[in-house]
Amino acid sequence: MAVIRTEKLCKVYNPDTIPVHALRDVSIEIQKGEFTSLVGPSGSGKTTLLNMLGALDMPSSGKSWIGDVEVTSLTDKERINFRLHNIGFVFQHYNLIPVFTAKENVSFIMLLQGVDPKTISERADELLEQVGLGDRKDSRPSQLSGGQQQRVAVARALASEPQFILADEPTANLDTKAAMNLLDLMQKMNEEQKVTFVFSTHDQRVISRARRVITLVDGALYSDKEQEPKIVLEPK
Amino acid sequence: MTIYLKLAWRSIWRNKRRTLITISALVFAVIVSVLMQSLNRGSHELIIENMTHLQTGFVQIQDYRFQDEPSLDNSFFFDESLEKEWLAIDDRIQWVLPRIETFMLAAIDGSTRGALVFGVEVEKEQNFNQLKDRLAEGEFFRKDEYAVVISTGFSERTNLGVGDTLALIGQGRFAMSASGLFTVRGIIDHPLPDMNSQTIYMPLPVAQELLSADQMVSSVLIGLETDRHTQSVADALKNGISDEELAVFTWPELIPELLELLEFDLVGAYLMSYILYIVIAFGFFGTILTMTLERIKEFGILISVGMGRGRLAITLFLEVLVISILGVLVGAAGAWLLLYYFYLNPIELTGQLAETVIDMGWEPVLPMSFAPDQFYSQGIIVFFIAMVISIYPIYKIFSLDVIKASRV
Repeated sequence: MAVIRTEKLCKVYNPDTIPVHALRDVSIEIQKGEFTSLVGPSGSGKTTLLNMLGALDMPSSGKSWIGDVEVTSLTDKERINFRLHNIGFVFQHYNLIPVFTAKENVSFIMLLQGVDPKTISERADELLEQVGLGDRKDSRPSQLSGGQQQRVAVARALASEPQFILADEPTANLDTKAAMNLLDLMQKMNEEQKVTFVFSTHDQRVISRARRVITLVDGALYSDKEQEPKIVLEPK
Repeated sequence: MTIYLKLAWRSIWRNKRRTLITISALVFAVIVSVLMQSLNRGSHELIIENMTHLQTGFVQIQDYRFQDEPSLDNSFFFDESLEKEWLAIDDRIQWVLPRIETFMLAAIDGSTRGALVFGVEVEKEQNFNQLKDRLAEGEFFRKDEYAVVISTGFSERTNLGVGDTLALIGQGRFAMSASGLFTVRGIIDHPLPDMNSQTIYMPLPVAQELLSADQMVSSVLIGLETDRHTQSVADALKNGISDEELAVFTWPELIPELLELLEFDLVGAYLMSYILYIVIAFGFFGTILTMTLERIKEFGILISVGMGRGRLAITLFLEVLVISILGVLVGAAGAWLLLYYFYLNPIELTGQLAETVIDMGWEPVLPMSFAPDQFYSQGIIVFFIAMVISIYPIYKIFSLDVIKASRV
């Protein structure tokens, strides 16, 4: 069964005044363990589609499923709870809780899930070790570099043991080295732990790492290709 | 809950200066408000204390006609057996003070002055209201001596001093003529200015003889340990006294005009407190508004990753609550210290202000009330303000568009 499935998703902004068609009949399926990039020029609908896949936004028409749950039929409260247990998010600006330490940021999601404190502590330590920040777990976000913050964000996204992770422009604010490290980390998790990643990006470094590239143009599905991942370095 | 409290606590201290300013404003509001209320209530408590101890008692028993027609014709028989009977009605009754009172003319040299004459049992009065301790000069009369103690105001009006002789002329019970010569044994400083200007105390048996009212009293004051029991003791006495011609009154029933006046006086203080709190509430709201608006994106992210709106609202409510509690606790502690000082050292008024206050019938001091409810009533007010203010962030959370918020 597909982890994510959409059926003729449409999103129209300002339907009563000047309608803007952000998505037009987008139907896709993403299987478990995929490493997928959503690409396209600005305004092509990448972020809108990502919001739909993440159950953050509701379509004007069409349906989407995560696992066997039709998320487009859930209420706002049900979708929040669904996201907590099923979807991991990595944001462009990291968006960690500034007053929490790295470990607390990772633990927070598990606390919301009601996991017992001992398990939370052990798992948070384990995840921070995995992302290479075992020695910075007591640092607050302001004491970490951008790359380190984004690693904490990845650990946070993994903490809830989600069905997949959505990453919106995860490398946009990182320098090449940090971006490559992050991509290495995510690729490793994908290959070794079969974590499903879906990126929205126009960063060539991310696109080249993906095994599947879905291209959107003017809100419609333009192409959906599989490729051999390769490492692209920043031009000098 | 711990994680929400932790998140709230740390969020509060993100901007230490702003939080400290907000807490300081609350502390200031609580202290000023408690002080204002304490000043008002302090003077009121003193007035009521003096009134209940020296004039009305907590509960008073009279002939049922006396209240409308305060004449010696409406006095009633009272003896020791009745005293024992009433003391047995409720063990919270500590003192039973018989009094006979009437207006008489005091003749001094070639002039006369009106005087309020009380026949009292001095030892019982001493137990209840420490009447003897108020002596400014001389001593108290013996139980059956033809002697009086006059108030300082009356002494000044008549130029009478200790050792002088005073002639009293008036009407006794059932229009009997009442007159006699009395030696002034002492002068007391009466704390109620109205009474200080005209009061004469004499032994109860002597007054009864003078007024042809043998074993009769015009009222019996009931002394209690605390005002808290006034109503219940009055109810017990109403049920326990078999003589249908006797009526039982609580002190608020005897001096309703004074209570109304005091309540009216409190309105001004309350008004000032409310204005102060409105100003503080707007300042507090400003802080919460800023704290909310500058974190809209963060809220959007938290909801995105699965934090329920209700949980987030609890966290924000806790932030408002913690700031309020800190402000109230520090404010209440500060107010307590100040009040304790002024409670022990009441501010005495001097000069024209003192005279004005005396003219109004009050004592020229600024006593502070130390009533505990002042502190928690302020706490409740600030808590209420916090409740109202927290509506805004809670509303913001529940109406938040996650997509828009995350883009901020």
